[in-house]
Amino acid sequence: MVLQSRQRTPNPHLGAYYGIVASTFISLVILLAMAEQLGWRNDSVARLMILVPLFLYFAIAVAARTLNVEDFFVSGRRVPQVYNAFLLAAITVGGTGFFAYTGALFFVGFDGLAIGLGWTCGLLLAAVLFIPYLRRAGAYTLPAFLGQRFRSRATRMMASAMQVVPTMLLLAAEVKIAATVLALFLPGPYWLTLLIVILFVAATGILGGVRALTWSGSAQFISGAIGLAIPLIVIAGLLTNLPAPQFTYGEMLNSLQNAETAAGVVPVEPGALSALPGNAPVAALKPFLQTFGAITESGFFALFFCFALGTAALPSLLSRSGVTASVADQRRSTAWALLLVALFAMTAPALVVFAKALMFGDVTLIRTQGLPAWLSGLSELQLLKAGDLNGDGTIGASEMLLGRDGLALALPILAAVPHILTVLIGAAGLAIALAAAGSHLFTLGASLADDIYRSLDRQPIVLPRLMVAWAAIAACGLLMAIYLLIAEVDALAYAVTAFAFAAATFFPILLLSIWWPRCTVWGALASLMTGFAVMVLGVTLGGVFGIAGNAASTAMVSLFAVVLGLGAGVGASLYGARPTAADIDFYEAMRRPDGETLFDQAEARAATAAARRNAD
Amino acid sequence: MTAQETEQSAKLDVDIENAARDRHQLRTLAVAITTISVVLCAVTAIIIYVIALNQLWFLNFPLGFYLLAQGLLFFVVFITFWYVRVQERIDHTRSMNEEIA
Repeated sequence: MVLQSRQRTPNPHLGAYYGIVASTFISLVILLAMAEQLGWRNDSVARLMILVPLFLYFAIAVAARTLNVEDFFVSGRRVPQVYNAFLLAAITVGGTGFFAYTGALFFVGFDGLAIGLGWTCGLLLAAVLFIPYLRRAGAYTLPAFLGQRFRSRATRMMASAMQVVPTMLLLAAEVKIAATVLALFLPGPYWLTLLIVILFVAATGILGGVRALTWSGSAQFISGAIGLAIPLIVIAGLLTNLPAPQFTYGEMLNSLQNAETAAGVVPVEPGALSALPGNAPVAALKPFLQTFGAITESGFFALFFCFALGTAALPSLLSRSGVTASVADQRRSTAWALLLVALFAMTAPALVVFAKALMFGDVTLIRTQGLPAWLSGLSELQLLKAGDLNGDGTIGASEMLLGRDGLALALPILAAVPHILTVLIGAAGLAIALAAAGSHLFTLGASLADDIYRSLDRQPIVLPRLMVAWAAIAACGLLMAIYLLIAEVDALAYAVTAFAFAAATFFPILLLSIWWPRCTVWGALASLMTGFAVMVLGVTLGGVFGIAGNAASTAMVSLFAVVLGLGAGVGASLYGARPTAADIDFYEAMRRPDGETLFDQAEARAATAAARRNAD
Repeated sequence: MTAQETEQSAKLDVDIENAARDRHQLRTLAVAITTISVVLCAVTAIIIYVIALNQLWFLNFPLGFYLLAQGLLFFVVFITFWYVRVQERIDHTRSMNEEIA
């Protein structure tokens, strides 16, 4: 029997709605810019710029609430490709990319480009290797796909337990970034802002699941893109006379090199600096254009491949593989996401070069012209600690200790543009961090509820499907809040470890299950366990033996784990019995480019069987 | 139509469908390998020769830095959209073949 595809038509007014959202955001910026010029206090402007969009995102989430299972898990499979691309791009880059990656570029310059390039190529790998087939299968979560592919509840539960690590790490990084930005601009202690962020993302996930996350997240992405673009265009116009930062920052490279030399920044010996800067404020001691100074050439390769494979196999990203109407839509959606991520990866170095050229240009003038005006502005926001440490009567580049995650916010202060632009970058980064955190929290909660609880309790009487997901999301949010109150989180290190875990655990199994019909359930289990175990050993014991002490070596361990995971998967599949006819049938059906979503067919069969049992 | 003819006709349908499936999977595999290997080779070559490339300048950027910060990203975006177009054509051909079969 051939099942006809359901008609999945998106709302025809979506373009108008999001046009209104973008206009509202831009109008708010213009109004507050005028208010600032009319004498409003900086903190009042900042509070409104942060809080009004937050209410807007939450209102959209409330409007998109749902009690329908398909809407909750895959937004009714009718999200237009570009809107899904907004979310895919936000999840890939996240607040960590917005603040921690740009900050890392400030310190390690050229060497940090491996991460941006890794994200972009990772989306290409996902688009080519995994996403169209995951869309055809249409499972609500990544572990559910693996469970269905191998007809194995053990694989599904094990994959669900293993995806907790990368998803939790990324969630911690995103929530930390969002709470830190909120704490900079709102009154009140850090724990309060942390609570606000957790409540916001948990409420969005609980109210409408993927549906609320999609529509609220699209607004967040639009605000994030506008909030990054406006300050950079203004500053590029001021510094280079052309409002196209990506193309004009080359003009600043010569002056940056001269300023760095004048400020005493000389090329560093490879290995003299840690691969990526941590949370503690440090001085920027490496010239921006020096190649392979903080990270060696092999480390650059490792970091690139770790981020590429990790992005391609990231559970939060792949769990959105069922939300568009067709396989072709999902593939195009990933291509749009890649374009958006590539645009960000092109923009981040521009932001850093502008900030660094302004800062080091002024540092060289301190001896003759006194302290620059931005020094007090950056100190007030606790983005910089400066002092005459060597007692030579002036402040040099090595005596300015900068916090990594605040450098994107420092650019408008360095360029002496109105305060609203500083807050705008904060609001933009916050929006992207919230969109990413919401998706990570939902992926975590939905998987624990749907893949573990429902696998153990096949006929849930006490807790229906959505209630279990709500409880799991709330519990994960609570645990994360407690963890973040206790632990000191380095967002970038957590992100590197998360991408390393995603690559090591899920890349081999996905590659084998989608591209090799001979892969069996034993191969899948062996691949999952090997990749995960090698990564756990690398991260826990590696620090002791100096194997995974920094970002580059963590990345190297993940690549080693990917190779071992692939080997274990192939070996166990070939050693054991051949796959069953049902496995081969599913594989062939998954490779067909059209037809009804396989997961929906299975759900319909299960519902029919349950109804027949009840009738009997 | 006799039972034997019906059986032969069904067998022919299965053979046609299997041939279409195999052709589709082979072409999909070829496009996937081409796309990924072209991008990974370009990335690898540029990383290996970046220091030499940095001796040249392009639009006020050292060429090696420019390629890693922008040039390769443009190339990956271009290749991705090319891949989407080609793969959709391959998928469309399979759907057409099955309709004919």
